[in-house]
Amino acid sequence: MRELSMHILDLAQNSIAAGASRLEIEVAADTNADRLVISLQDNGRGMAPDFVSRVKDPFVTTRTTRRVGLGIPMFDAAARACDGRLAIQSSPGKGTYLAATFKLSHIDRAPLGDIASTIVTIIAVNPDLHLRYTQRVDDKAFIFDTDELKTQLDGVPLNEGPVLKWIGEYVKQGTSEETEIN
Amino acid sequence: MLLANIAQNLNLNPINEPSADVEVTSGYASDLLSDVLAKAKNGAIWATNQKHINIIGVAVMLNLAGVIIAGGIEPDENTVAKAREENIPLYITETSLFDVAGKLYELGLRST
Ligand SMILES: Nc1ncnc2c1ncn2[C@@H]1O[C@H](COP(=O)(O)OP(=O)(O)O)[C@@H](O)[C@H]1O
Ligand SMILES: [Mg+2]
Repeated sequence: MRELSMHILDLAQNSIAAGASRLEIEVAADTNADRLVISLQDNGRGMAPDFVSRVKDPFVTTRTTRRVGLGIPMFDAAARACDGRLAIQSSPGKGTYLAATFKLSHIDRAPLGDIASTIVTIIAVNPDLHLRYTQRVDDKAFIFDTDELKTQLDGVPLNEGPVLKWIGEYVKQGTSEETEIN
Repeated sequence: MLLANIAQNLNLNPINEPSADVEVTSGYASDLLSDVLAKAKNGAIWATNQKHINIIGVAVMLNLAGVIIAGGIEPDENTVAKAREENIPLYITETSLFDVAGKLYELGLRST
């Protein structure tokens, strides 16, 4: 994919499809180690061990509309093309953890892209999801958490236009300074 | 245009040849799988520098006529196995991706 945020959006859809009510996404750059790690942790239905061992194969999917599932395989290929790898841990009934590493400075590494729009899109379609987004550069971190916002909003749904607009601007602003990742 | 004619014309090395005649209706060249998924047409021949198994996933999803790995790149082992299993015509060539696309264009193929 052209931007890493597109992978994040696609993988978030996996978590939602798996019935997750909570999703933690983290994008962390370690400039000393020259490494970028993108991780997603959800509390969805999870996958059985033998399924996890095969899920990087594009012909493994539980979709009924088609035989091919490219979300995880493309994320895996993106990491491998940048001297990294994708690790998957999952337990049925508990949830799934995906973590892809990339060499930060690798010439084939796609840019992170528009993460603010990605977050807004996830929330617009899933206003009840507890989403926590963290972006780190070395020891600096930006955190956006829908539950923290909800306590301040006092019952206003997150997918209302002005709220989404505010979230977009907040994430954009927060990820553009000390924790900026290109 | 028949796939066999294209293979002969471009002097492609077959990794997995189709069991019957395949009609090629368009061409596409790209290394970005999401781009191919969005833009390539059913029945297209796709030229790429990618070699991993996901290219066969894309070919099956789009019902492509075949895949050409350009630039002297060898496909991964599981790519070859999956191409056979799924009956996806797969070719390799030393010719660069640019030149493969140019030759396909010369033969009259377009991306649309
Ligand atoms: N977060 C997740 N929780 C539970 N199952 C998952 C998760 N992500 C992926 N899966 C399973 O892995 C399969 C393959 O995922 P993916 O590669 O994204 O392709 P697709 O979503 O098109 O099936 C899914 O069909 C689903 O069964
Ligand atoms: Mg998916």
